[in-house]
Amino acid sequence: MIVLWAALGIGLALAFELVLGRFVPDATRYVAVMTLPLIAYALRTSQRSSMLVGCVSGLLEDYWIEPRLFGLNGLVKTILGWALGGIGARFDLNNFWGRFASGASVSLVEEGLQTALRRLFGEAVAPVGIATLGIRAVAGGLLTAAVLVIVSKFGASRRAPRQKARKV
Amino acid sequence: MAAVTPARANALLLGVMTFAQLLLIAASVRGSMAASAVAAAVGVASRPVVAPEQSVSGVLLDLVHFFRDVHADERENVKLKLEVTRLAGELERTKALSEENTRLRRLLGMHEDLVPKSIGASVVTARLAGQSRVILVDRGEADGVRPDMAVVAWGGAVGRVVSVEREFARVRLLSDPNSGASGVITRSRVEGMIVGRGGEPMEMVYVPKYADVAVGDRVITSGLDGVFPRGFGLGRVTVVGEPVGASKSIRLVPEVDDRGIEDVLILLEPSGTKLLAPEEPEVRP
Repeated sequence: MIVLWAALGIGLALAFELVLGRFVPDATRYVAVMTLPLIAYALRTSQRSSMLVGCVSGLLEDYWIEPRLFGLNGLVKTILGWALGGIGARFDLNNFWGRFASGASVSLVEEGLQTALRRLFGEAVAPVGIATLGIRAVAGGLLTAAVLVIVSKFGASRRAPRQKARKV
Repeated sequence: MAAVTPARANALLLGVMTFAQLLLIAASVRGSMAASAVAAAVGVASRPVVAPEQSVSGVLLDLVHFFRDVHADERENVKLKLEVTRLAGELERTKALSEENTRLRRLLGMHEDLVPKSIGASVVTARLAGQSRVILVDRGEADGVRPDMAVVAWGGAVGRVVSVEREFARVRLLSDPNSGASGVITRSRVEGMIVGRGGEPMEMVYVPKYADVAVGDRVITSGLDGVFPRGFGLGRVTVVGEPVGASKSIRLVPEVDDRGIEDVLILLEPSGTKLLAPEEPEVRP
């Protein structure tokens, strides 16, 4: 069942990323939709599942949107899943500020790791402005917090009937 | 023997996955078949998500266009009538110029193929991030699209095809940091290389510091890079800074705004880049 939910989450994120790129392409500079499944899994489940979800969502992103380095986003998101999953296992980040901080930091670290790996594989990299990074962090944080609120509410409503059944 | 804790197991898994994906990236850089096979598998797995997304996006896009068009139609009609009158005069003049042009080319003993064979394509999605600026278009190998073909839009050059699948192609935009095109300033015929800088204005490099360049100059493709035919708009000079080393520091805004690209032309047979061999002289009896 967990695999099905993960597939659904990644599929929705991919669809949203593609729609965003078609209608508001400039937003893709600031918003990393494909990191949402890995953050959700890192904060709500285990380190291992967040790594695997990160890897799959990254490879999908590579296939559809990365022009040259297939595997780059997969690698970056696997590392992010491992790191955030580890932190999420030690601290309770499943609250508004925890989610906001996770979203913001993942957005920034993702940009840094991508830049470093592109350099490693001989690609030219453009300078990134502080303002862009700031907007990216705030947008990532807010989006993560908003999406995880919806996921939590949905999760709670899914669990509710089961609890009632147990009482009966 | 120490027990394998979950943390250790995860670290081990991370190591294995990192190594495997580094190999995958290296393979894709070398253009290996293994990387293509993995990519194809990922593509097949994700197609059930993308197909409905494309249909829904298409319907949404049609709706947006419909409402926008209804508003714009009336004003456009009046404008077009005036434009038609103006263009009728212009056409006559162009015909005369074209005849003169043909005559002069004959005199010079050469001809040039000015209209490259092309195919229209719609943008499926775009990624305009700082380090990677790419669009996905709905034409692929099945339509004759191949890597390294030039992509243009109304107004100027857009980018270059970097990879092709059966039904779609990825196009790296000129504003991508790894893009480059040779350009020439129309006013002074100064040549240089146009390189992308992510979301920032593009840069013209390899321009001698004493070259005649001014703010507002228009830059077009020179055709020397072997990808873009000459004559497509690249951008307009916005900043001419202090020389860095032997080269002038020139920034330009692109002619085609990446954010507004919806339809493009892929040039299937880039021509107009080279002057062809002189025509056979006519044999008179």
